[in-house]
Amino acid sequence: MRERLFLVFMYAVLSAFALFCFIPFWIVFINSFADESILQTAGYQLLPGKFSLHAYEFLLSGKQVFRSYGITIIVTIVGTALGVLVTAAYAYTLSHRKVKYRNILSFLTFLTMLFGAGLVGFYMLIANWLHLKDSVWALILPYLLNPFYAFILVSYYRTLPYELNEAATVDGANDLYIFFRIIWPISVPAIATVSLFYALQYWNDWYLSLLFIDNYKMLPLQMMIRQLMSNLNVMAYVSGSQTQYNVVVPTYGMQLAIVCVTIGPIVFVYPFIQRFFIKGLTLGSVKG
Amino acid sequence: MKRRRRFGGAFVRELSRNRYLYLLALPGIAFLAVFAYMPMLGHLLAFQNYRLSDGIWGSEWVGFKNFEFFFNGKDWLRVTLNTVFLNALFLVSGLGSAVVLAIFLNEVRNRLFKRIAQSFIFLPYFISWLVVSMMALTLFSTSEGLINRALAVLGFEGVDWYLTPGAWPYILTVISAWKIAGYNSIIFLAVITGISAEYYESARIEGASRMQQMLYITLPLMRPIVMVLALLGIGRIFYGDFGMIYAIIGDNGVLFPTTDVIDSYAYRALRQLGNFSMSSAVIVYQSCMGLVTILIFNAIARKVDTDSRLF
Repeated sequence: MRERLFLVFMYAVLSAFALFCFIPFWIVFINSFADESILQTAGYQLLPGKFSLHAYEFLLSGKQVFRSYGITIIVTIVGTALGVLVTAAYAYTLSHRKVKYRNILSFLTFLTMLFGAGLVGFYMLIANWLHLKDSVWALILPYLLNPFYAFILVSYYRTLPYELNEAATVDGANDLYIFFRIIWPISVPAIATVSLFYALQYWNDWYLSLLFIDNYKMLPLQMMIRQLMSNLNVMAYVSGSQTQYNVVVPTYGMQLAIVCVTIGPIVFVYPFIQRFFIKGLTLGSVKG
Repeated sequence: MKRRRRFGGAFVRELSRNRYLYLLALPGIAFLAVFAYMPMLGHLLAFQNYRLSDGIWGSEWVGFKNFEFFFNGKDWLRVTLNTVFLNALFLVSGLGSAVVLAIFLNEVRNRLFKRIAQSFIFLPYFISWLVVSMMALTLFSTSEGLINRALAVLGFEGVDWYLTPGAWPYILTVISAWKIAGYNSIIFLAVITGISAEYYESARIEGASRMQQMLYITLPLMRPIVMVLALLGIGRIFYGDFGMIYAIIGDNGVLFPTTDVIDSYAYRALRQLGNFSMSSAVIVYQSCMGLVTILIFNAIARKVDTDSRLF
């Protein structure tokens, strides 16, 4: 009897927490389709009384959302591709038992996880020394090598049989060939996981654009949320034209619409990619 | 090569023998040198009266003046206490809720329920803090927010949440647990799945109930991983979650008394006041505190439980 009661309690707690996690998504999603007048009079509701697509129409009629989408997509694709390449190659060297200095390299990599360089030096590096302000590279370069992901790959490479390597060496293959032609193909599961981590990081990042992008036209999607939330001249920002006083701007609706447009792709692919993240976390928790 | 000194010779020999492997690592090494180690020069600014026109080598050296200024003000104590207090709350709530979720998820036999519940619980990890801040607004907005509307329906007076500093440490704690519990619970779940089934079997033969198995087998065996995550968190207790704080609180000065952390303070000093040296001093202070904490706690962990230490 007590056992059963406890079981019910367990299911109740899990359901409640799952619901608690889901509700904010629901509110944002459903209210982005709410009529602006309803939002302004009745506020955000679990089920709004009147629906309209006005917020989306307004948002998509302007140029800015497409520009921001473009920036986000470019940064995510280029950043992920470069990041995975740099990380996978670097991690391979760290994991290779032939490399004499691999422990020094590992230590120097680990050290950066403990001691960040700090905001000021980082800001000066990008803004004053590399002159990358208002450049899309400022949004890509700083995240190319994440030590944590590198160590996930190191612990994965270590599980591969070293005989592969020896056999290829006997056959006269050099290390570049071995890495790209043998190691990379059999590491695809781990590399896919790491690339998803990178893609998520680039898609969700707004810290770099907060620091380094002053040209509002170049802001990625995430920062567009911030711009719309801070209630500047929304009309001019979204459509790039002067304020027209005869048009009612769906301010509330648009804030929600831009959020949905931003997280839409993630939520859409989430059911398919979730297991890769779980695998990555499981790999990472095996202490390396 | 023979003419070189011995160490240099060995070094060059190693590089040339494994030249392709070092070539593979080269982009990564260059990245770390430029983006991780070079910015550490920024710490020098803390001891300067930095001016953009004079550059880092031409600015006037002022010793510890920036630190004196920082510690003579009232802000340093406030931001330090806020950082530590908020991080402690986040750590306990994030790990505590995840332990409970992981144990419960592990007990669930209905696979469909388990998968759906886990998917929902993990979902918040995938969105940015700016999206979270918009979600928070839909709940806590004074006139349109769901919470105040619900309070009104129940006959209570609404609260101006964004003007009530006292509430935010707890609101942020709930938000933090909301976002990170799923992530942590997956790590814990992986550890639980790794526990040998024999333990449970013999416990069952001895007549232990499920609750007892949970309390006396699962929980103790989770201790090392919880300790590792807790230590990682404690090691970073002086590093505020800038992304979270700045996205949700932003420049809302009313809430600073309880939510301003070292990182948001340093950010404002840099970006809004343009005071590079002051910002750098704050960060050097933070790094020193962080270093001391991690050394102390690692030493303690080494003493108490060698498996849980970080290095």
